[in-house]
Amino acid sequence: MTKKPVMTSRERILAAIDHHEPDALPVDLGATPSSGISAIAYYNLKKHLGMDGGTQVYDVVQQVAQPEDAILDRFGIDVVDIGRIFNDRPEDWYDFTLPQGMTVQFPTWFHPRQLADKGWDVVDKDGTRIAYMPYGATFFDQTCFPYLDGYPANFKELPYWMGKVHWSGLVHSPWDHASEPDFWQQLRQRAIGLRQSSARALVVVAGCNLFEWGTFLRRMDNFLMDLASDQDSVERLLDALMEQHLQTLEKVCAAVGDLADILRFGDDLGTDQGPFMAPKTYQKLFKPRHTQLTEYVHKHSQMKTFLHSCGSIYKLLPDLIEAGYDVINPVQITSRNMEPEKLKQEFGKDITFWGGGADTRHILNSATPEQVKDHVRHNIEILSPGGGFVFNTVHNILSDVPPQNVIAMFEAVDEYR
Amino acid sequence: MPWSNANCCKASPLARPRADPFGTLAYLKTSESRFKQQFFKRRIQINDIKVIYQAVLDGDAAASKEGVTAALKEGLAADTIMQEGLIAAMSEVGRMFEEGVYFVPEMLNAARAMKAELEPLKPLLALSGIKTTGRVVIGTVKGDLHDIGKNLVGMMLEGAGFEVTDLGADVTPEKFVEVVRQRKPQLVAMSALLTTTVASMGNTIQMLKDTGVREQVKVIIAGAPLTQEYADKSGADGYSPDASSATRLVKSLIEA
Repeated sequence: MTKKPVMTSRERILAAIDHHEPDALPVDLGATPSSGISAIAYYNLKKHLGMDGGTQVYDVVQQVAQPEDAILDRFGIDVVDIGRIFNDRPEDWYDFTLPQGMTVQFPTWFHPRQLADKGWDVVDKDGTRIAYMPYGATFFDQTCFPYLDGYPANFKELPYWMGKVHWSGLVHSPWDHASEPDFWQQLRQRAIGLRQSSARALVVVAGCNLFEWGTFLRRMDNFLMDLASDQDSVERLLDALMEQHLQTLEKVCAAVGDLADILRFGDDLGTDQGPFMAPKTYQKLFKPRHTQLTEYVHKHSQMKTFLHSCGSIYKLLPDLIEAGYDVINPVQITSRNMEPEKLKQEFGKDITFWGGGADTRHILNSATPEQVKDHVRHNIEILSPGGGFVFNTVHNILSDVPPQNVIAMFEAVDEYR
Repeated sequence: MPWSNANCCKASPLARPRADPFGTLAYLKTSESRFKQQFFKRRIQINDIKVIYQAVLDGDAAASKEGVTAALKEGLAADTIMQEGLIAAMSEVGRMFEEGVYFVPEMLNAARAMKAELEPLKPLLALSGIKTTGRVVIGTVKGDLHDIGKNLVGMMLEGAGFEVTDLGADVTPEKFVEVVRQRKPQLVAMSALLTTTVASMGNTIQMLKDTGVREQVKVIIAGAPLTQEYADKSGADGYSPDASSATRLVKSLIEA
């Protein structure tokens, strides 16, 4: 059912977000750090397809690949991460052989150390260990929790301590260049180049996490307890984070607000069984601040607001919609209350689902290609009517997903384009 | 205190001066005092239990520790405090979580308050020879460092009266087997958060079989990527989706 496209990729994505059914199903692979493919799965996919070229691990924490243009063209991907405008020279990468045996490319600034226990770690320039990957694992865990023992009297040194969290210390492009003196000018110039040369929609990944930064700084169990037992400290921290985030947004909107189509925020709010916190806790502590963030972006740019939030967030969706998010991702359909039918029926007109296309825990990993296709068709047929849907897997395609299943998934997707 | 001896004795007719040649009134007064003392003592004890119970529900670790100290001073037995204070409270916490009234923050705080209560009680429980509900070994499997869910399950099992040996995270099948042989628990609970480490659970169960100890323990698995289907396929005795239902599952498997 392949039709001749009448819209550009960018138009297609924007139509979907505006809740108009576009000319064809819009598709993402790799436009965000949570909508792509693990380096190992990408390597295996390219090998299966007989494609040359390397595997650039652009997010070293999650060990996720940056899809090349050849892959984007082959699978008809409609959107990309603006970060790909940096690290665009061969000398920005070097070869590294993973424990699993395949040779990939790491950014030149990333040098993990192998340890006696066969795991890997990363130390920052102060000598603090900020990340660790145990033997047999496929990504790096956080090891430094700066506020583990308690909140500081003031947050003057917050940026320094945030740098010790691996999500910041080992951040993906474009932010790995953020300390360069002409970074913001570079960002704008390169984004103009990308805008002119690409018909795809552009995403700028801006983070600005609130709940998650609390968990990164205090460690998840402590911050969760703080939400119930020390809200004063939580509010102080959130205010300090908001000051950082609004400064970031001001610069991002000034640099690329008229060039990028979507700004991706992140804040995982769900477990498999339900939200991390009671809705009234979200409403009190996070909703007003999330609202401030989305309002800033809507007021100071043309960009749509996209929230990445894993897990069962059904109970929070009404509040997230009111907080001003245009798009929600990854739409974890196997978690409680997150069935595609239910989400589309109750919230389909109010928010765009970017994800939910294929389960990445069991089906994509271990079903047959035919089962994958049936699953994908089922989800597309529920989520795509009336727009408000961009096809993507439920989070990154993991290392154990066989290339045949990735191909089967895109074959099913093609039936709707 | 509303029931103080001072207030009540004022109203009592036995408090008014009377002639008492045979010491009858004196005897009655002493009995009445003893009765009143026992009555008031029991009211204080009930109140102490209520304070301890509520402190766990409120996640107030300081109040719960004080509550236990006060209760022990009032002569309450450690086992009574455990059963009527901690175990009852944690059971209620679990119920509220399953009903969607409590969320993870409230659960973690309650578990922390319960742990604060448990510390002064543990030596007394051991001294009084109170049997635990059972022995459980818990750990997160090899290659996986995630532990909050495991910690919560461990705390809730302790709150239900189990003796818990926590092996931490990144635990090899060999380590699980070694500890099973040494400590002879009734149940092993394995946790994993990563789809890529789940296979370690099947390996551990196989190793328990190969070393001949599988029949001696029940095995349960839990963690976000797990399902009843995987539990059945890997030979586990059970699976549960959250810490509260895990506690009920462990009880049912051990009592079976």
